[in-house]
Amino acid sequence: MSGAGPAVLAEGLTKIFGRFTAVDHIDLAIAGGEVMGFIGPNGAGKSTTIRMLCGLLRPSAGRAFVAGFDVARKPEAVRAHIGYMSQKFSLYGDLTVRENLRFFGGLYSVKRAEMVERMRFAITMAGLEGREDALVDTLAGGWKQRLALGCAILHRPPVLFLDEPTSGVEPEARRRFWDLIHELAGGGVTILVSTHYMDEAEYCNRVALIDRGKLAAIGTPSELRGHALGGVLFELECAPLGAALSILRAAPGVIEANVFGDRLHVLLADATAAAHLPSLLAAASVHAEPPRPIAPSLEDAFVSLVTRAPHMPAAP
Amino acid sequence: MSLRRVLALAFKEFLQVWRDPRSLSVALLMPLMQMVLLGYGVSLDIRRVPLCVEDQENSAASHALVQDFIASGWFAITAALQDEAALRTAMDRGQCIAAMVIPVDFSRVLDDTGQATVQTIFDATDTNTTNIAIGYAQGVIQLASADFAARWAGSHGTPLARVGVVDFEPRVWFNEGLDSGNFIIPGVVAVILALVGAQLTSLTISREWERGTMEQLISTPVQPLELMLGKLVPYFAIGLFDAAFCLAAAIFWFRVPFLGSVATLAVTTSLFTFVVLGIGYLISVRIRSQVGASQVALVLTMLPTTLLSGYTFPIDQMPAAIRALTFIVYPRYYVSILRAVFLKGSGVVELAFPMLALSLYAAFIIWVAARAFRKSLD
Amino acid sequence: MLGRLRVMLMKEFLELRRDRWAMFRLVVPLLVQLFAFGYAATFTVSHVSTAILDLDQSSLSRALISHFTATSIFDVVDVATDQREITRDLNQGTAALAIVIHSGFAADFNNGREAPLQVIVDGTNSNTALIALGYASQIVSIFQSDETTQVLPASAGAGAPQRGERAGDPAAPGTITLSLADQPWFNPGLNDRWFFIPGIIGTLVLVQIVGLTAFAVVREREVGTLEQILVSPISSFEFILGKTIPFFLIGLADVALIGVVGVLWFGVPFVGNPFLMLLGASLFLLGVLGLGLLLSTFSRTQQQAFALNFFLLNPFFILSGFAFPIAAMPPFLQWFTYLNPLRYFLVVIRSLFLKGVGFYDLWPQFLAMFLLGAGALAISVMRFSKSLD
Repeated sequence: MSGAGPAVLAEGLTKIFGRFTAVDHIDLAIAGGEVMGFIGPNGAGKSTTIRMLCGLLRPSAGRAFVAGFDVARKPEAVRAHIGYMSQKFSLYGDLTVRENLRFFGGLYSVKRAEMVERMRFAITMAGLEGREDALVDTLAGGWKQRLALGCAILHRPPVLFLDEPTSGVEPEARRRFWDLIHELAGGGVTILVSTHYMDEAEYCNRVALIDRGKLAAIGTPSELRGHALGGVLFELECAPLGAALSILRAAPGVIEANVFGDRLHVLLADATAAAHLPSLLAAASVHAEPPRPIAPSLEDAFVSLVTRAPHMPAAP
Repeated sequence: MSLRRVLALAFKEFLQVWRDPRSLSVALLMPLMQMVLLGYGVSLDIRRVPLCVEDQENSAASHALVQDFIASGWFAITAALQDEAALRTAMDRGQCIAAMVIPVDFSRVLDDTGQATVQTIFDATDTNTTNIAIGYAQGVIQLASADFAARWAGSHGTPLARVGVVDFEPRVWFNEGLDSGNFIIPGVVAVILALVGAQLTSLTISREWERGTMEQLISTPVQPLELMLGKLVPYFAIGLFDAAFCLAAAIFWFRVPFLGSVATLAVTTSLFTFVVLGIGYLISVRIRSQVGASQVALVLTMLPTTLLSGYTFPIDQMPAAIRALTFIVYPRYYVSILRAVFLKGSGVVELAFPMLALSLYAAFIIWVAARAFRKSLD
Repeated sequence: MLGRLRVMLMKEFLELRRDRWAMFRLVVPLLVQLFAFGYAATFTVSHVSTAILDLDQSSLSRALISHFTATSIFDVVDVATDQREITRDLNQGTAALAIVIHSGFAADFNNGREAPLQVIVDGTNSNTALIALGYASQIVSIFQSDETTQVLPASAGAGAPQRGERAGDPAAPGTITLSLADQPWFNPGLNDRWFFIPGIIGTLVLVQIVGLTAFAVVREREVGTLEQILVSPISSFEFILGKTIPFFLIGLADVALIGVVGVLWFGVPFVGNPFLMLLGASLFLLGVLGLGLLLSTFSRTQQQAFALNFFLLNPFFILSGFAFPIAAMPPFLQWFTYLNPLRYFLVVIRSLFLKGVGFYDLWPQFLAMFLLGAGALAISVMRFSKSLD
């Protein structure tokens, strides 16, 4: 890395495809060793941003620096200093685990002396001991994911970009993967991870919320959770949910109401209004438990930050 | 440029081809099949022209004439016709390519004047066969004239009055047996390599795009030139293997005479293989779907190769505008190189012009490929 | 059944119409190939580069040479002065043919002896070499008879030479010469295009329609709509009919288009019966569509269809008599051509264009095409019914 400063810096980063603005003036500064999460709905512009930072797409406007290099002017220097895991994992299915590792090691010109040790590290990290000669096509999702990560770090890059590395992977494997990420970050690697799983946001040092190409919010999970919702949040168990939702949304004093799993989260202007809700619902033959005040979760924060509330996936 | 990266790419590509049944079948089955099909199916040697005879005289002389035709080995009598109507029907139905009508006063006219004319009718639908049949018939009739003269002299015990006779002595150089296989089969090798080569490499880049591995690749430090070399090296080896197979088949199985040197063959074949693979690679770079790429590769190579390379239709007989066009049809050069090496024993010196043309092509491809492949997603 | 068929046809036509490139993709490659073949495909030898070595330098040898140069076929590229030049010309390919007249030629000829004339031809392209030799042979014949009539002035115009006019035997004629009066029928000018262009109708239609049919079905299979359709009350047979009728019509349109261009642009004559042409084309298309469908039953993906398409069509194209005579093929390949509908269609189409034959001349071809087509379709229908599981 040349010079001190953030490992990843973006200023007004913009990408326009024809008439469609995919990324709209995003500013970012990620420090060395930090784990930054990119959260947002599908199509929000996460992948596009990451691709620009990797030098895979040219920015339409703005600047970005990765490991101290300007992505527009010195893309090759950037590539030598990053590891990238694309959305499709992109391992060679018709090659074995070992062959894939050797290939990527060769691409990154990892010194031969180091190769043996690095390969062993990657295989152990992925848990693929004894399966080095298996064709990658035969591996299940979680193994592929860890192997892809291993391939991306053979050359010890200071910055890692992971584009939705946990999509379609079992929850157990996801947790294990995040442990690995933190291990790497502990060693000083800067990691930018994008995901559409809300709960994974909690695992990051900081989270950037991307919505419709714009940076809607950025901060630590607790900062975001503490984002002033502009009201008091209550949780309400009731049935049927659909009917309750329409009633509450029309009720006075209710700022917002959303479905969260099998219950409703209701944002009230004033805590005292909570007491009236059950009777309001009972009048419409909706059975309801008394509402309980709850601390807002990250998801709640996101929901209020993003105005497409009903489309946010519920916490799994 | 990092040799290490090129080798890593080459090794990976080789493993992938080895494990992909489709690539393997293109690499191994296609040349074999084409060699059999084209080697045996493409032939212009008409050995025995089907001949019908309407002998209006039925004399010893007319029979002798018919015998001369049969004895030449160039004609096979398929029918003896009774009359004009039968002749028309036979021709309409394509029962014979040539029909000979010996007039009813054949012997008498010959005895009286020393000259007789026989009508030969040809089904000129297939113009090439007709031209050749006419040539054969000419040959036979000249021999027949000499035969008749000798017979006359023999039966009368006296020589004919002395009139000079031109003794037509044809000599054939380079392909003495006039076996069309000898000039077609070297061309077949060129055609096969052009088709197979383009097919092989046309998939290589598009496959990576479709599977998503290309995105991964271009995020690494690999350079476009390294990528091209790394991908082409295994296909080059396969291409040379195929070429060796086809050439060996031409020499040992089809017995095309081989007067040249293996070294010349090796140099020229390597050059051509590189051009062919490069073309397929270029197509693959431009077209990101596998189905599209292999289709375009086939269409772009099929027509020019079969029509304009000179492997069947001689280029120097084409209209001038088309002849000019063939200068950019790269298989044309390799076809003429192979023919010259096989049948004339030409060496690298005599082949300077076509080799220069191929080298220019190769240089052009490298230049275009290096610029065409962009390490970016848009 | 008719109702379901109509619905299928409507769907096909709608899809075709929506695809704006379809017309372009159908017609342009066809025309390009037609013109490419029309102009480039030729076996005619229209000029032979010739080198001449005249070591006799007599008026007779010059007369012989002028017989050659008077034709437009022999292009003199070199008048050599010794054998080495000739050798070099042939080796380098500057000349395809060399005429060598040794000294003493005139003396031999005028004294009633045999006067040798060497004609050396570059046999690399044996086909053109054979034809060039044929031409040379004809020219020598003409020269021979010209000289003979000059030497025997009495026989030149007056009819039979008198017996006993020669020295030697009173009853001996001057010489015995047999000659041929060549009459090319159906294509008097021996025009290559009249041979190739009718054939192109068959080959282009084969390649295009087989491809279209196979791809159309496989695409539905790949996309998944095939399952959807076959779950409905439609039968395999109705489905196949619905798929193939549009291509049948396109095929007929192709035949008409190429035929018209061939006649109007390339000047190929058409002396046959248009209805026979329609019948022949329809029967041929039966076989073509059958082939395309058969192909589609063996392919799961478009990729496979494409590869199979090529592997199948290539032999059908080459082993048909389109450019290379079937008679020149070895027996085992000739047997194969009996299964090729193109082989029969080529006979039909060439006969109709150039010979003007009738039904009774062509019925074997019609029957063969019908059997092949029906067979292919039947097998396809059977395979279709089975292939769904």
